[in-house]
Amino acid sequence: MTEDSSQSGSSAPWAGREARRSQSEALRCGGFKEPAEAAEAEEVEQGPHTPGRGAARAKKRKAAAAAAPAPALQPVKLSKAELYKPPTSEELNQLKETEDLFHSSLLRLQIEELLKEVTLKETKKKKIDAFLHEINNLLSSIPETPETDITDQTWLPKGVKVPFLQVPFSVKGKFRFMPPAELSVVGSYLLGTCIKPEINVDVAVTMPREILQDKDNLNQRYHRKRAVYLAHIAQHLSKENLFGNVKFAYMNCNHLKPILLLRPQGKDEKLVTVRLHACPAPSFFKPSRFYPNKNNVRTAWFLEQGTPKEGAPEPATPHYNNSILCDTVLLSHLHFLSGVSTDFPGMKDGLALLKVWLNQRQLSKGWKGDGLAMGLGCFSGFLVSMLVAYLVMKRKIFKVMSGYQVLRNVLQFLGRQAGVGWIDPIFQGEDRHHIAAVFNVAEITVTLANGCTSLTSAGHPSLADFHHAFEVVFVDPSGLVNLCADMTASKYHQVQFEAKRSMEVLDDRMVDGFQALLMTSKPMLRTFDHVFHLKHVSKLQSACKKMQLLNELMDWGGNYVAAALPFIVSLLTHGLARRALLVAHSLPQTPEWPIDAEPPKHKDVGSLMFGLLFVPEFAASTLEKGPQADRPEATDFRTFWGEKSELRRFQDGSICEAVVWEADTICQKRLIPEQIVRHLLKLHADIPESSICYTGALLESVIKNGKKALGTGEEDMVNVVCSYDDLSRKLWNLEGLPLTVTAVQGVHPALRYTDVFPPIPMKPIYSFHKQIKTRHLLLPSEEKPCPAYITPLKIICHIEGSGQWPQDKEAIRRIKAAFHLQLAELLQQQHQFICRPAVTHTDVYKDGYVFRLQVAYHREPLILKEVVTPEGMLKYRDTEESQRLELETLHQPYLTSSLHGLHQQHPVFGSTCRLAKRWISAQLLSDSISEECVDLLVASLFLHPAPFTPPSSPQVGFLRFLNLLATFDWRNSPLIINLNAGLTDADCTEIKNKFVAARSRLPVMFIATPKDKWNSVWTQERPSVQILQRLLVLASESVRALEEQLMNPLSSQDVKIVFRPPLDHYDVLIHLNSNQIPRHLESVDWPVKSFSRGVVKNSAGVRILFPVVDYDPVQCYLQDLREAFNDLALFFYDKHGGEVIAVLWKPSSFQPQPFKVSSMKGRTVTTLNNELVCVPNIEAILEDFEVLGEGLVKRVEARTEKWTI
Amino acid sequence: MAAAEPRVAATAPPGYTALAVKFGARQRSPHCLLVKEHRVREGPADTHPPQRTLFVLNVPPYCGSEALSRLFARCGAVQAVDLRDKPGPGEKAEKGTSKFFTDRTATGFRVAYVVFRKPSGVQAAKALSQEGPLLISTDSHPVKTGISKWIARYAESVVDQEELKAEVDAYMQDYDKKVAEEEAKAAKEEGVPDEEGWVKVTRKGRKPGLPRTEAANLRVLEREKRKRARKELLNFYAWQHRETKREHIAQLRKKFEEDKQRIALMRAQRKFRPY
Repeated sequence: MTEDSSQSGSSAPWAGREARRSQSEALRCGGFKEPAEAAEAEEVEQGPHTPGRGAARAKKRKAAAAAAPAPALQPVKLSKAELYKPPTSEELNQLKETEDLFHSSLLRLQIEELLKEVTLKETKKKKIDAFLHEINNLLSSIPETPETDITDQTWLPKGVKVPFLQVPFSVKGKFRFMPPAELSVVGSYLLGTCIKPEINVDVAVTMPREILQDKDNLNQRYHRKRAVYLAHIAQHLSKENLFGNVKFAYMNCNHLKPILLLRPQGKDEKLVTVRLHACPAPSFFKPSRFYPNKNNVRTAWFLEQGTPKEGAPEPATPHYNNSILCDTVLLSHLHFLSGVSTDFPGMKDGLALLKVWLNQRQLSKGWKGDGLAMGLGCFSGFLVSMLVAYLVMKRKIFKVMSGYQVLRNVLQFLGRQAGVGWIDPIFQGEDRHHIAAVFNVAEITVTLANGCTSLTSAGHPSLADFHHAFEVVFVDPSGLVNLCADMTASKYHQVQFEAKRSMEVLDDRMVDGFQALLMTSKPMLRTFDHVFHLKHVSKLQSACKKMQLLNELMDWGGNYVAAALPFIVSLLTHGLARRALLVAHSLPQTPEWPIDAEPPKHKDVGSLMFGLLFVPEFAASTLEKGPQADRPEATDFRTFWGEKSELRRFQDGSICEAVVWEADTICQKRLIPEQIVRHLLKLHADIPESSICYTGALLESVIKNGKKALGTGEEDMVNVVCSYDDLSRKLWNLEGLPLTVTAVQGVHPALRYTDVFPPIPMKPIYSFHKQIKTRHLLLPSEEKPCPAYITPLKIICHIEGSGQWPQDKEAIRRIKAAFHLQLAELLQQQHQFICRPAVTHTDVYKDGYVFRLQVAYHREPLILKEVVTPEGMLKYRDTEESQRLELETLHQPYLTSSLHGLHQQHPVFGSTCRLAKRWISAQLLSDSISEECVDLLVASLFLHPAPFTPPSSPQVGFLRFLNLLATFDWRNSPLIINLNAGLTDADCTEIKNKFVAARSRLPVMFIATPKDKWNSVWTQERPSVQILQRLLVLASESVRALEEQLMNPLSSQDVKIVFRPPLDHYDVLIHLNSNQIPRHLESVDWPVKSFSRGVVKNSAGVRILFPVVDYDPVQCYLQDLREAFNDLALFFYDKHGGEVIAVLWKPSSFQPQPFKVSSMKGRTVTTLNNELVCVPNIEAILEDFEVLGEGLVKRVEARTEKWTI
Repeated sequence: MAAAEPRVAATAPPGYTALAVKFGARQRSPHCLLVKEHRVREGPADTHPPQRTLFVLNVPPYCGSEALSRLFARCGAVQAVDLRDKPGPGEKAEKGTSKFFTDRTATGFRVAYVVFRKPSGVQAAKALSQEGPLLISTDSHPVKTGISKWIARYAESVVDQEELKAEVDAYMQDYDKKVAEEEAKAAKEEGVPDEEGWVKVTRKGRKPGLPRTEAANLRVLEREKRKRARKELLNFYAWQHRETKREHIAQLRKKFEEDKQRIALMRAQRKFRPY
């Protein structure tokens, strides 16, 4: 987007437009001209969050902009000779391959580019190989140490700490260091499937047989030896100059399994991370000891009791067992995978794509701090490689397939089970089986791998054992290891869900699948409807106690986060069963740590984040209906919900257990899941409310009208629509009109649920106004504060076509006025509404609202368009007038009804829209972009959500809106919004092609809808290039600031910061008297002082004097200002209660111009270098600001330091 | 900005005289009106007779025609003040001055034609530049701005129903009469050949012709095209077959080229960095 502005003057596609708009619209100030600067400036204003990053980014962007010439799509022209030359066989082959293996050539090219971007270059590989060689040499030269007790670690030098939480400390066993028996590279590096940006090379360091003792499988002895072994290596290697960085980390955040990270010295530090895994000598341990139903951690030892209790059976420790087994099969897995990947070029590409896919969804790695980090129970790249291998075995994938087809098949496989229904892991039993049955490599691979592994078919643990021990089961070729041991069921469901969504996206030809699947990242905040943080995971300790998870704790070596997480998640999924499509959690992650530091504790995981994805129909229901009171399940229900559960009699006569949640307004109902989450966690896991930070409706306070308002206005909107429906019925049945009413269509935003502050019924107080009894109306009084703003709700009233209509535009105007008069009269007579007719409309006061009826005649736009050529041919040419009329009577009603329909399907559409508009208005840009345009942008989020699901909470919708604004490539692509599914695939292609061909003549923002494919009527006039640029910068800064606030549960979470506009860019600020701002209460920060506005709210009167309608002094003032100073300055204002009008001089206005009669406005003549020139008469203009706004303007603050004439 | 001494509004382009003008006594910086004698080569029928008309540039937004005529009243009796957005030849005088159906009046900084009763007024007005700044709003004749102006504007926007009705009725009567006359005239000419013998065919006649509109023309062309397409045989001859294949490959090539371009563009924008 930087390119946009830096060349906005010169680049070809904009040039024409630029000229047309004339420089008069160009802006001078830094924030508007140079986005990079703006970003920096923004950084300063928005204060506390990371000042450095933005600046650095801006610089980078600037550099990029300087390097790349203005890229823009041009229509392709090929000569005839080139098009029709005979094809070579090679070309034919390629065309055929493209057709067979990929959907389209574009996808093929895109994938090729992406792979180029993520695969490791050959030169880099050489460097890495050299580095590995050196490590190999160093490792074998580490000296031996004498034998000591494991607990005696005094021989380790000061500079290194054992990377293991040794609780309880005392274990038996001896340890001595000996150089590794074998070193081998395992994992993705050798297979060539590792992808940038994080290149990890896994090296298995085999500990010699002599180090290990007989009973090392017990009580973490093996794990501790492993840790001490690594500590000794670390201490030796840290002395070498070869390494820039020697650190410890937990393998996949499993704190039983520390690994050693080695990074090269100097500028290659970021190039590669070599990870040393210590593993036992092959076939040292007997596999049968580690079956999932065996115990290897003694309760007495774990609890530090003196003697074991007699007779008590020891619980199984499947996770512990699995962690040891994993170490024994590192090499065989490598052989297995390399066997599969030979002669299979598509596997490498496919895996790279799959890894990108997983990363974008934060399934394999999450963003932690500044880099990608593995988390506990992730769907890792290794896992996906094994899955591909499994599918090859199952003959689901063939070796001739392309990378794209591998991706498709894996997604197809994963997505197959999703959506069958939500599986509820508390009442599981067979459900667990269900997951596992999918994920069972064992049977087939064992038979295949029989020859190469030393395993005999006898004595494998049964699948049932696995299912009993683990939530997700994926058995490896050896038949012993569960590769998904750490994964929670919820995580697997998330993977399935994503896979299913992705398949739908790939099959939908209307969306750019590549972009949605591989290029869009899905951070939790933007994916899930509601998100909450568990601020302090240490609270899970008590949760473990409450849920009696001692065995699990022992199994996990005391890691209470890992032990409690599956139970917490299944608790929530059960509680939210009907409401939530998906309950997901972030992966617990621990940072790497330097070797001389203590290893991180369990609580260093930080805060855990949970995301909820709702079923819109049920998410907000207030009732949780349970089983009938006399059924046995009733007790379960009661224990699950605690005292919230009560007996209720239902309409069908049944008496059931039920939970009823308190919520009066729609916005409170949206927060019922919050109530449930808090209640359940308190009840079952002892997690206090204070350590849950729930961000579901934080933003909604800005669309509440005033401090006291209960709801966010949805109810008001419904009332308006009801009243409108009633009125339209009455209009239909009106008797006595010479022609009948054929259609009544609303056009006001409140009638499509997108008005930021919906009107509420109001009754005027007479004494507050000047009364004119003779004409039955009230006028604002000069002495009193400005009366409340009453919005006229505009309605178009189509009158039947007939030969009686005149065919002349002036006469039609008269006839329409006559209709307005008559409508008023008839409504007054037949329904006793009080009306106030005018030439262009009739205002009707009904139920406390004011409706503005406007009569329309369907042929009028045509009559305005008529042009007769000299030959007498009648042609229709668009004129400004006809376009305006079409907009009012055709496009606006259509849009209103379509969006009204959309709101019925997606109940949060309206609120999302309102948040978006509130933000734009708060940034003072509401007059620079049309309201309908914003509505459409938000509609696109609901109609084309890929890769997300349609938002079910305003917050996530708003975040995605900001992201859309900030990232959409307006220059090269049209935004196509398929309202009412009125566009076909072919239409979309046609729109795109025509768009490219005619780019320079089209508006900067191009939005196509089924009824408006070629013109983008809502963005014709506004926004201008500069305003759009400004909007993009503001959006990207806002989304960043907002996400930072929401992601940090420990901060104040002041989300209003993105609604407070930066005012430093502006040249003049006009401060207004708040008593003359009728919408003062709507401002973002609710005013301390408020004024009486002369109305009784929420009440309506009959037979009253007509109230003051559509009178907003600030808007009058702005209109006057713009009329007077349009070519000198731009005026910005927050129409929802802003106290400041910000003025920006146009850059061209300060340049002295030669005297011209037409350009003298507000200027004065002076001599410069003996020439007569005109310059703006700034002093006088500043005084004019005050004169024009007499009574409204408090003071004019001229920031004279910002400009020079 | 040099805020020190208010610029003396003495400089003026040749032919013009600069007059300083302020809103009220309280304001410090004046605007500068540029005035000159109105000179055009038009007949005396024009609304702005050259001798007696003063052309005024840069009239501030709060200065209406009343205020303007008061400003220049001291130079001689003012006959009319015409405020415009742009200078230009006088439009045809507002036919049938309608109270409700007038178009938008000029706003912002405007130009004005001030017509004096006597030519001497013009010269006297030019001489005003020697005096101090003129005041638009004085104690005796305050000009409404701001809140009071907007309230007044709001009050004005309320129309008198009876009056509006009367005006509409009158207009429509006139219009109906005019239409009736035209129809009568057309009916009279129906079927009557002109001097060269041509007969005008209208939709009203006994044999209505095809309407002469663009849409009708297009419809006819479209129908023709469809008819031709129906008759044509596809892939009947060998050469047609060849042609189709060739066309298909050409299409694919074109698409491929387009895609390549799109990719190049995306690469330039670094669109392939997944994260």
